[in-house]
Amino acid sequence: MTSTAKRRTNGNSFADNLGEFWKKNSQNIILPLIGTLAFLAVWQLLSLSGITRLPGPLSVITNEQTRILLMYPFYDRGGLDKGLFWQTLASLGRVAQGYSIAAIVGISVGILVGTNPIIDKALDPLFQFLRMVAPLAWVPIALVAFQQNQPAAIFVIFITSVWPILINTKEGVKQIPDDYNNVARVLQLSRKEYYLNILFPSALPYIFTGLRIAVGLAWLAIIAAEIVMSGIVGIGFFIWDAYQQNYISDILLAVVYIGAVGLLLDRGIGYVQQLIVPGERK
Amino acid sequence: MAKPLIEVEQIDKVFNLAGGGQYIALKGIDLQIKKGEFVSLIGHSGCGKSTLLNMVAGLDLPSEGIVTIEGQRITKPGPDRMVVFQNYSLLPWRTVRENIALAVDSVMKGLPLGERKAIIESHIDLVGLRHAVDKYPAQLSGGMKQRVAIARALALRPKLLLLDEPFGALDALTRGNLQEQLMKICQDNQISALMVTHDVDEAVLLSDRIVMLTNGPESKIGQILDVDIPRPRQRMQVVEHPSYYRLRSEMIYFLNQQKLIKKMRAKKNKVIARHGLEKINLELGFVPLTACAPLAVAKELGFFEKHGLDEVHLVRESSWRGISDGIAGGYLDAAQMPSGMPLWMTLGGDDTKPVTVITSLTMTRNGNAITLARRFYDQGIYTLADFKKMLLQSPGQQHRMGVVHPSSMHNLLLRYWLASGGIDPDHDVELLTIPPAQMVVDLQGGTIDGFCVGEPWNLRAMMEDVGLTVATDLEIWPGHPGKVLGVREDWAATYPNTHIALVKALLEASAYCADPENADEIRQILAQRTYLGTRAEYIQLADPNDAACNLDQPMRQYAHHQFFGEGVNRPSRTEQLWHMVQMARWGHTPFPRNWVEILERLCAVGAFSTAARELGLSEISYSRSAIQLFDGTKFDTEDPIGYLNNLKIKRDFTVTEIVLDTPRFKVA
Repeated sequence: MTSTAKRRTNGNSFADNLGEFWKKNSQNIILPLIGTLAFLAVWQLLSLSGITRLPGPLSVITNEQTRILLMYPFYDRGGLDKGLFWQTLASLGRVAQGYSIAAIVGISVGILVGTNPIIDKALDPLFQFLRMVAPLAWVPIALVAFQQNQPAAIFVIFITSVWPILINTKEGVKQIPDDYNNVARVLQLSRKEYYLNILFPSALPYIFTGLRIAVGLAWLAIIAAEIVMSGIVGIGFFIWDAYQQNYISDILLAVVYIGAVGLLLDRGIGYVQQLIVPGERK
Repeated sequence: MAKPLIEVEQIDKVFNLAGGGQYIALKGIDLQIKKGEFVSLIGHSGCGKSTLLNMVAGLDLPSEGIVTIEGQRITKPGPDRMVVFQNYSLLPWRTVRENIALAVDSVMKGLPLGERKAIIESHIDLVGLRHAVDKYPAQLSGGMKQRVAIARALALRPKLLLLDEPFGALDALTRGNLQEQLMKICQDNQISALMVTHDVDEAVLLSDRIVMLTNGPESKIGQILDVDIPRPRQRMQVVEHPSYYRLRSEMIYFLNQQKLIKKMRAKKNKVIARHGLEKINLELGFVPLTACAPLAVAKELGFFEKHGLDEVHLVRESSWRGISDGIAGGYLDAAQMPSGMPLWMTLGGDDTKPVTVITSLTMTRNGNAITLARRFYDQGIYTLADFKKMLLQSPGQQHRMGVVHPSSMHNLLLRYWLASGGIDPDHDVELLTIPPAQMVVDLQGGTIDGFCVGEPWNLRAMMEDVGLTVATDLEIWPGHPGKVLGVREDWAATYPNTHIALVKALLEASAYCADPENADEIRQILAQRTYLGTRAEYIQLADPNDAACNLDQPMRQYAHHQFFGEGVNRPSRTEQLWHMVQMARWGHTPFPRNWVEILERLCAVGAFSTAARELGLSEISYSRSAIQLFDGTKFDTEDPIGYLNNLKIKRDFTVTEIVLDTPRFKVA
């Protein structure tokens, strides 16, 4: 039975496979494609008709300067005049630093607060309060506190993305089933053994949910932060700069980059989560 | 005796409620677990059995009292008391082997790696999970998960294995297999265990002792059963052991009783006073027997209402145990009782808590007989002497006989009868307490060889050709007291007029029952489902029943119930003294040094006399003659202890001063 089945799959040509794949997924591909194209078409028509001054999507290609940006993302003429790839990378670098600090601080404080109800009671209102402060509001504070753009930007990312990590970790630790804790108590596990064998694995799904929400927030925050912080390489400031000089089609292209990177970040964490926390258990 | 492994001493557990109040979950729990013993905790949900287990585990601490293991106070959980949790509590991110390894590695740090490995692997094999060793818990069935949990627990070599409803979430088939596996493992490794369960059969199968908890709040140990079924046990064979159904029904009775008490507690117990009586809404307990005729007649023909007791409710209990518990628990106002029960309850018979109960009316006399299984008749056993010969000839065989309650005349008469023939009722045969209605079935099923019980069951055994009556009251003690009316002394003190009205109604009903003219009507009443629920032919009152007399031994005369008459109804101190002596003789109760005082309290002659006088029956007297039974021994009322000492077959009896509590007056 198995051998014949194997032979049959082996015998299939690539075209057959593709046909099969197309048959199964055609709906999933065609419909989103139609939707997106229709949206772009309507937009193009609206800008052609003059109802809005916003240039249509085609301007990304028709505008010469934007076309250069589109075609050569890796150029580097020094200073702030860099291709979009470098601009994005600079922003991502900041995100990586701020997000890493947020992950370390968020997870450790989350575990501390989750295992210690007294500290939880003392700090919870503060966390809930600070969580509500918008990323943009942190920018002036950060600038005053750090006096420099780079650390200020990292701080804004940190302060925006730390809350979901912290609160989810705390919740994950609190939600450890009594059964697991009882097992730990009966076995008289040491603190280290408890953290490694019970607390961390049990809270891991929650922590990852926090990390995933946080990465989106961090990416949102960097754009906001960079727009305000003039004179740095980064996709946020690139947009602001383009706006100042009225290169609207440049902005459109940058927005596409932002959306794509955000999507990739989210999927990336999701992928890591799937690797570490297999869905089948539980 | 070796010191017990676990000692639970006077434990209370109080939970603080969210609203600021307190909930007393457990109160005054005392329990000991010996090494190698398997003990089950059983009770309704919320009775605190898991709480008790957790306190032995150390997961929870008692509010009062202490728990010790090998003399060390338990203050925190530890691997020497490994718990098998109901929901397995396996770590889902670890495979079967890793789950067991975590426990072994963290508890047995001192052992070399190789030895730990060997322990882990041998326990995987012990529960037969070799094929699933690298699977995650999510990939296992419930039964397999529980096997992992058991293996994990056993691998730690705990001094005591704690099991919290270990098989509760499993299907019946898996549960049965696992029970057998656990039983075998415990047996082979001499494991001591404490298990919480709500499954009656599981408790009987696995346990050496079964501890039953009463309902909360303030749950306590209601009763402890010893399971005398020999090990090794097999699930299928345990069912056939003669003790199995007795243990099972004992537990079910207990659980039902707990449910009933809960219902009684919930019901608002309002006392309705009317017609110059303190209480006219009464709950009267009875056991379906021909002897309950006065109660049935009083209810059906309106004698209760006639005397102002407008709301009398008859509560049918299937066993005398139910009656004594109902009176002691206060949810029965009064009850029909075996003649020895007031005394037995007052003296705290068979280690029960003493409750002073008095009697003011003897409702019936006679109506009992000793029946042996039909096969003895076929072997030619017609008399006590024949029976003894048979017992001597079959020493290896255990013969069992049924009685209805230790305090009932059946028990005392059967013992007296056996002893007079030189048969020791505790050593030569075994007496089992069985509810009356179950006797014929047990006789037919062969779990007992004979019984002594009230009608209609002897008659029915005869008519159904299951057994044969070898002795009736006429041959043992004609006119002995059968059933009496019993009430708690404090109840009688609180409702004195109600008490007298009740005696009046029942005395009149008794007189009605004694009239042969009414026999047919009464038989019809008793045959109803509310009472005996049997065919009217089985119920015999005054008229000689042909069937009873014709079968094989036509000369045998039947001892009719006496409901009313000269010397029938007045409570007799002499007779109660006889009961007192006989119960002391068999070790059911100690013999009270202050027996005169106790008899004085026990027989509420005043209430009877008032009732009789008010009914215009003042001439009812009682016989002062000495009691004489078939063997010719005179019962000396002047020197009961001398009489006891002269008996040949008896247990070691104790003579003590028994202090009755002063009657409490309930504030109505």
